[in-house]
Amino acid sequence: MGEDQPHTTSVRRVYTINGRDVVVDEDGFLVKPEAWSEKLAEILAREDGLTELTEVHLRILRFVRTHYLTNGKAPLNSELKKAAALTMAEIHACFPGGIRKSTRRLAGLPNLKGCA
Amino acid sequence: MPDDDHIIYLDNAATTYPKPRGMLSEMVDVYARLGVSPGRGTYDLAAEAAGIVSEARSQICEFFGGDDPERVIFGYNATDALNTVIQGLVKPGCHVIASRLEHNSVLRPLHSLSLQGLITYDLVPFDEAGFIDPSDVARFIKPETTMVILTHVSNVLGTIQPVEEAAGICREHGPALVLDVTQSAGVVPIDMGRMGVDALAFTGHKGLLGPTGIGGLVLSRDLDVQPTRFGGTGVDSRSLLHTKTYPERLEAGTLNLLGIIGLSAGMRYVTERGIENIRLHEMQLFKRLRDGLAEIEGVTIYGADNLDKHVGVLSCNIDGMDPGDLADVLDGDFRIAVRSGLHCAPLVHEDLGTSPEGGVRFSLGPFNVTEDIDEALSAVRKIATLR
Repeated sequence: MGEDQPHTTSVRRVYTINGRDVVVDEDGFLVKPEAWSEKLAEILAREDGLTELTEVHLRILRFVRTHYLTNGKAPLNSELKKAAALTMAEIHACFPGGIRKSTRRLAGLPNLKGCA
Repeated sequence: MPDDDHIIYLDNAATTYPKPRGMLSEMVDVYARLGVSPGRGTYDLAAEAAGIVSEARSQICEFFGGDDPERVIFGYNATDALNTVIQGLVKPGCHVIASRLEHNSVLRPLHSLSLQGLITYDLVPFDEAGFIDPSDVARFIKPETTMVILTHVSNVLGTIQPVEEAAGICREHGPALVLDVTQSAGVVPIDMGRMGVDALAFTGHKGLLGPTGIGGLVLSRDLDVQPTRFGGTGVDSRSLLHTKTYPERLEAGTLNLLGIIGLSAGMRYVTERGIENIRLHEMQLFKRLRDGLAEIEGVTIYGADNLDKHVGVLSCNIDGMDPGDLADVLDGDFRIAVRSGLHCAPLVHEDLGTSPEGGVRFSLGPFNVTEDIDEALSAVRKIATLR
């Protein structure tokens, strides 16, 4: 099995990255946010239809992750927009998997299954 | 792009915002003067606080056409009230009817009771326009059906349901009719007696223009609801049995006096401005919004055809765009607050074919203005073009 080809356990999937197993839940969110790496973000990004993570993607993901690690929560829309120096529409265009879903998933934030 | 301080608030179906001028100051002033335990002491302040609660019960009873102010029960919100009435009316082996338009505040208590093996239930479908057919209620009624619970207005589609016809069927066959007026109270005239409603669950923070954390039940005199929570009521304290008389029978613990003051002030505003006037205002804005959205290529609107049986709630999607993203772009780039997702009514979206992402809901309030709608339309037009 290739390094970035997951195998499934129940509804979870397991990726082996640099010899270590990384588990994501049924929605593709990290079960243990501390297991995040940019390599994992690249693998998950491909599942969202992104062929590569550009410096713009990575700048957004690093900000979302740092904000989460510092504040214990994802950034507000206004904070994300300011940090990315982009409009929300432009951020939306960067992440085909969805602003909220994809940035949080690729940045290794937990799946909050927020009120919907 | 708008300035940061200006927000266009179109999420009034979740919570109305802002509140009427003077409501918050009235809450602060009255609570600062009388914020003690209502009905729990013999000193004058406690009696005056109890008087505020008693007046609010009368106000609510009159507002909803109830038959006894003592049958106005305070709780946290409509979910709390619905839990009180559902769990207080069911008996092991009984059958309940609700609809697929219901909010999780009805669906989850019923599902939980069903999982426990205590009840069975059926859900009446809704048609493409967003209405139930009352004859479906009759079709589902069994000898053991004790309760029919219906939402008065769908929180996703904004459609006003044919409650009076359903009430007639309930009267004919026996089950109690419980009406969830979360989305209709303050926007659609409600008269329990005339409509044939046995119990009504309301919340304060939506169309009644009160604060969050206060809501309740209005029960008809003929309906007995068993208490499912027990505790201090300030009545007959020597007995270890919970108080049997209403309203204390269904109210355990000290009431939310601050919330009651705010609810009363909000309802007074509604009454003074007039429910019909508020609805007329919201529906004028709704029509402008609906017609404008309908002209934008790629926008799909759900159940908004019949304006006579509608409130100012509109759900839609832009083809190929996650509703959560649409809401985030509206918020981040245009400072427009709307609600995306399933709106806690998963079966509605399942039947619309919009599950699991759901839709974007625009919901209007008494303080929205024409410019809000025009800015929302302009924003959606720009976003739809970008796709």
